[in-house]
Amino acid sequence: MSPLGPLGVTLAVFVGSLLVVLGLWITGRDKRSRSAPESVPFIGGQPPVVHAWSRYHARYYVMALVFVAFDMEMVYMYPWAVVFIREGAIAMGEMGMFIMILLLGILYAWRERAFEWA
Amino acid sequence: MGLRSAFSHFAETAAVPVFAVAGGGAREAVGRLSQSPTVELVDTPAAATILLVAGSVPPSLNPALTAVHDAMPSPRGTIHWPLGADQGELPTTPSAPPIGPSADAADAIAHVFRALLSGAVPSEQPIQPNADPNPWRGIGPYGQGGSGMTGGTPYGRPMAELAPDRDGLRLDVLPLSVGPFFPRFPVGVTLEVVMAGDVVIEGRVTDSPFIGHESSFLAGPFLRALSHPAPVAEIELARAREHLRWVSNALVTQGLPALAMRVLRLAATVTPDDATSVTALIRRVRLLRVPQWSGAGVGRLAPELLPGLGLGPVSRAAGLREDARSTDPAYLALGFEPILGHASDAAERWRLRLAEASQSLELARRAGDRRTEQTGVVESPRGRLQAHDAPFQRLQPVIPDLLAGLEWGDAVTALVSLDLDPEEAGVAAIPSARADAA
Amino acid sequence: MRDYASPPLALMTIGLVMVTGVYLIAVMDRSMATLIGGGRWTLGDSAIGPLRSAALLLVQRRRVTERPDAPAWALAPALLTGLAAVALATVPIGPDTVATDPSTGFVVFSAAIVFVMIAVFLHGWSSNSALAMHGAYRFGAQALSFQIPFLLAMLATALPAESLSIVDIVNAQESLWNVVRQPLGLPLYLVVGLAVSFWGPLNLPDASDLAGGTSVEDSGVARLLWTAARAAMLLAVAAMGAAGFLGGWWGPWLPGPAWVVVKTVALLALLLAAGHLLPRIRIQRFVVTAWVILIPLALVNIFVSAAVLL
Repeated sequence: MSPLGPLGVTLAVFVGSLLVVLGLWITGRDKRSRSAPESVPFIGGQPPVVHAWSRYHARYYVMALVFVAFDMEMVYMYPWAVVFIREGAIAMGEMGMFIMILLLGILYAWRERAFEWA
Repeated sequence: MGLRSAFSHFAETAAVPVFAVAGGGAREAVGRLSQSPTVELVDTPAAATILLVAGSVPPSLNPALTAVHDAMPSPRGTIHWPLGADQGELPTTPSAPPIGPSADAADAIAHVFRALLSGAVPSEQPIQPNADPNPWRGIGPYGQGGSGMTGGTPYGRPMAELAPDRDGLRLDVLPLSVGPFFPRFPVGVTLEVVMAGDVVIEGRVTDSPFIGHESSFLAGPFLRALSHPAPVAEIELARAREHLRWVSNALVTQGLPALAMRVLRLAATVTPDDATSVTALIRRVRLLRVPQWSGAGVGRLAPELLPGLGLGPVSRAAGLREDARSTDPAYLALGFEPILGHASDAAERWRLRLAEASQSLELARRAGDRRTEQTGVVESPRGRLQAHDAPFQRLQPVIPDLLAGLEWGDAVTALVSLDLDPEEAGVAAIPSARADAA
Repeated sequence: MRDYASPPLALMTIGLVMVTGVYLIAVMDRSMATLIGGGRWTLGDSAIGPLRSAALLLVQRRRVTERPDAPAWALAPALLTGLAAVALATVPIGPDTVATDPSTGFVVFSAAIVFVMIAVFLHGWSSNSALAMHGAYRFGAQALSFQIPFLLAMLATALPAESLSIVDIVNAQESLWNVVRQPLGLPLYLVVGLAVSFWGPLNLPDASDLAGGTSVEDSGVARLLWTAARAAMLLAVAAMGAAGFLGGWWGPWLPGPAWVVVKTVALLALLLAAGHLLPRIRIQRFVVTAWVILIPLALVNIFVSAAVLL
């Protein structure tokens, strides 16, 4: 058994496959396809007026805030799932109250049309 | 290199990725070509190996054609497919003789593809010269013009500018000219749009490049019916086929290419006695909830904007009883009643076109030898068609109101649901001498 | 002590599984497209066709756009493949046969899923092309919306196992599969699984109304690697679905690993069929559905199965 432990092996698998794919990508490197007319981005045939990189208005930013709140809830649910059966009905009640409060948040966000933007 | 030539040889019989430019008179033929397993039509030139220029392409589209050609990665090749039209001076030089009228296009394309990969035909060079749009002018006397400021503009193209937005934030807006070869729109539709985020702030469709283009392609049955009476059966069958082809393109827009292929095959082979297959298709499409998921509430056109425009299914989906066939005695004798909808959105236009396809097949079956009795005005699948007056031109003023505030996917759905056809506008603008060249 | 293989062995097996899985997905996808499209299906076309197209992509040159972010463009398919590899590494094939089984395997899997958003965003942003960037930002909205339902749907499988390790989760299904114990779980998981691997009805970043979306400027080996990475992610989602809901290696007559393969292929067939038969969902409708319908359903799933377990 390697001294890395299971998480180390996971990291090794991640880095290994990433490097393999990067290696394959680099084999496609080719200086000749870089002439100006061959490099114009495609939007149907016309050249682009401005660079695409811009301060893009990601209109779902309010939903992103709600997401952060729920992500914090997920952090608490991970250990809750593991000890739940041992702790019994009290644990269910506690998590239930927590979830109810957050669900009220979703209801409010839905009514305030935070999930739709156009 | 040995490995590369081995791969090339192995890839010679792959499905050829083709970027098809279906110009005037070529849409049906390109549709038939796409059904062949040898050829695969792709959405972007970056995925394509062969550029197929079919039919008659207006000269004003030549710069865009050059750009699309150069955007293909090498090995690349071009094929011209005149289809009876005079293609004129195209900027692209073909890698092989043009496809003849009786040749099998898929075979010809596969042949050129094999030659390209085996090296028998050299890969084409870019047409435009390798000139930077904004060459670097060097460092100026005050130290300005450093790296990145090519030609005085940042990285060769201007950056996006700020504009106020509905929710009070001032962020960048992107002006885009989508087209004329955007894969979901017919060739010639250029959408000029200003986007803030993924929402369209303002959009408009430019004029049809086919107007004023002395095209020599054949007019379809609807244009022929403008000048002399045509068999009702022929017109209604053509209408059903056009609607089914629209359904196929709309299915591709909604991400269902396999189902779209099935509908395209049906469109090519349907006959008036075959109405059951169309009803089965309608049931299947509605079962899969395609109109509702993609179009419910999308692209709503207020009925007040539409009276008198005669926009075919678009008008009838708004509840307006406008159909040029209602004044034709031949149709009245067949008991023709226009189908009307009430919710003037994309889903209703879907349903209406499917229903009209069924109705047209029914009319074609019962028509026998009847001929249309009114000339000068014809109901094409897109609306009221007269000489110099096609539905495309009447749709253009309606589009800015339609698009403002729509998210991009909804905007594309809405435009596809309008069934824009710049080619029809172009041919309608030609003096009637062309209409009887059938 | 938790099971894990040595890194070279793990890498080789995961690599082999991914290559086979991606090829199988390509064959199945092409076959379904031919059958649904009304064409003629031949084994040769379906089996060798994908290989020939891959060879063509290897011969085609990889083009670049005017001012791309080259490292990000290279990193995107590599990252997606790495994440799919990590996700696959946590799926067990037998009680003692797994590439890696940390005691928080479920969290590792979820972490891999979360980073898919980064990979797709990099892919769309890096080519400096407007349509690609729209696809990237659309996926931002999609990703933020599917994370919570995904985690909640899978969390319910951890309740009977009292553990976050995937091997324990599968072991807890010895008597009864989770698809029976928690009937809402698998449908929810499949829906968000489609969202994770942006396939079929939820293929918003690479959509046909964006002319290919984030892959609009990809050619050659770049296109091949991205397509393969997407398929690998779909494989990982299906494999974890088979392990977490369909009982993994438990089953009569056949040996454990064979069952894992059968169940994964069944889920893959289901996902691919959904890809060919369901239209693409509008992004706003998906966001609203994920928050207002999928999260409450997932929570109902958790609390009902929790109540049953007590």
